[in-house]
Amino acid sequence: MRRLFLLLFSLALPAAAHAAGAVLVMNSGEASLSVIDMSTRQELRRIPVLREPHHTMLTPDRKELLVGDTVGNEVLVFDPNSFELKRRIPIADPYQIGFSPDAKYFVVNALARAQVDLYDPVTFKLIKRFPLKSMPSHMAFAPDSSAVFITLQGTAKLAAIDLKALTVRWIADTGPAPAGVLWNRGKLLVANMGSDDVWVLDPATGKTERKFRTGKGAHQLFPSPDGKLIYVNNRIESTAVVLDSTTLNQIRSYKLPGGPDDIEFAPDGKVWFTLRFVHKTAVLDPATGSIETISVGRSPHGIFLNSKATPK
Amino acid sequence: MIAAFDQAAGWLQEALLLPMLFGLGLMEWEDVSFGWALFAVYGAAQVSVTFAICVPLEQWRPVEQWANGRAVLVDVFYTLISRIGILPLVTFVAFYKLQVMLNGAIADQGWVPPTLERLIPALLGHQVVTFILYIIILDFADYWKHRLSHVFDWWYALHAVHHAQRQMTFWSDDRNHLLDDIIGFIWQTAIALLIGIPPMQFPLLILVLRFLESLSHANARLSFGWLGERLLVSPRFHRAHHGLTAAGYDSLNYGAILPWWDMLFRTADFNRSFVATGDPTAEEALATGSYIAQHSASLRRMVRELTR
Ligand SMILES: [Zn+2]
Ligand SMILES: [Zn+2]
Repeated sequence: MRRLFLLLFSLALPAAAHAAGAVLVMNSGEASLSVIDMSTRQELRRIPVLREPHHTMLTPDRKELLVGDTVGNEVLVFDPNSFELKRRIPIADPYQIGFSPDAKYFVVNALARAQVDLYDPVTFKLIKRFPLKSMPSHMAFAPDSSAVFITLQGTAKLAAIDLKALTVRWIADTGPAPAGVLWNRGKLLVANMGSDDVWVLDPATGKTERKFRTGKGAHQLFPSPDGKLIYVNNRIESTAVVLDSTTLNQIRSYKLPGGPDDIEFAPDGKVWFTLRFVHKTAVLDPATGSIETISVGRSPHGIFLNSKATPK
Repeated sequence: MIAAFDQAAGWLQEALLLPMLFGLGLMEWEDVSFGWALFAVYGAAQVSVTFAICVPLEQWRPVEQWANGRAVLVDVFYTLISRIGILPLVTFVAFYKLQVMLNGAIADQGWVPPTLERLIPALLGHQVVTFILYIIILDFADYWKHRLSHVFDWWYALHAVHHAQRQMTFWSDDRNHLLDDIIGFIWQTAIALLIGIPPMQFPLLILVLRFLESLSHANARLSFGWLGERLLVSPRFHRAHHGLTAAGYDSLNYGAILPWWDMLFRTADFNRSFVATGDPTAEEALATGSYIAQHSASLRRMVRELTR
């Protein structure tokens, strides 16, 4: 009951003062988004959503921020500066979302519905549906927009969808429960959550060329803004491993207890993580390895950082 | 308090569940498993709270006293496996593929399952109101599921497990046949396709509701008064449903949380006071048999009814 009152109370609070730089966190376990002030590291407010917000993506013109609500079957459109909700688009099970680099397609991985949907990025009309077994999880695009690569978490595969012919080009084997996939210097990197390694695949054929260990529960891969580093989150080991993106050698490793998931890089060099199991957002200083945490909602997943945002 | 539950669920997932999934090669379920961890933690809290309140109540004003309360033990077992989440986990995993297929087929027809909030846009942003509305609708659906389970003989053969208990206590709420639970799961899936189900936004409210359902089975002389009984289902009201003459086809007081539907559809009876419980038509195995014995006896009865 206390929580109920707190909620009613927080809804009645006047809008928080302007902040310089803000972070939006998707609380997948309690149907809300947390707005965090970057400078004070305080949670400013919680935005209620329908059901289960997971991931977020800027539109190609960077004028709108999309948040996928899977169980709510809708995509929420926010202003990326004010974090104001502008509109809602009905879309089936938007788990992972992304735009092809040429901005021709809006791709939706519907994990619970075992399908990958291609939408028109302006009208959000469905163009083509690919039933893919099973649990389509993460995606990566070829830089020339010729293909999108999808990890199939439930069947240990990686699917390549040809974005010119709109066909499935190949389906290749990965390690168990593949999650993150990243295009890196002409190769594909796939993190295998069911084991402890990342596989290097040839995007033309899907053939595995190399495997290397990062840690148990290898989950997601994030390139640093300058492209020199790749961060890999390991779900079981609760670590973030930093790789040299050219050699793929491990440079550093950070201990991040609490289930590190998505990452955003701040202009000041700090790295923001969501920590799924402890319901916090962590701010890592890669120079010192120190970590500061901010409490957010239940099971925080996606994260969006805008150092120029002024949330109302 | 909420924060403590959430931390416990997080701990359960990180320290126990994930290493287990990893060891079993089931890591693809890691995202889904948090929902289960939450369910288990809140379920454990439900059982503890119910236990802490209902045990003294049953000691204080018992309706019945038994020389030997051994028949209650199986109800404890029913409660633990359904509230701590072993049953929901099994039904979820068993039906996940079915749900994916069904959802995919429906999505192919262009159907995006709506939510109550999208059907009634005025509800958007009013989470407490929406939540209460969902509870009312789901309780209405539950009334009809329960009522139909008394209408069809084959279905009542399963539901008889719930009615056969002659030593009814707060533990009896979860005393249901596995197949009956599965029908309930399908029932809820159908509703979810039509209006959605609420998010885990107010777990404490769910805890209170689940407590009320357990309390309504308590072996305690407890009524909520004239008005109270017409607002929420009381132990006195639900005991009448478990009465010897209310078993089977001609029953009354079907409501689980709200007695409104019984009042509306003229199945309410507020006059029967603290009657003896049980189902005289059920064979003895249903009343005092083990979990397995109860399950097989009522399955046999169902087959008999279907082939009659
Ligand atoms: Zn009944
Ligand atoms: Zn009952």
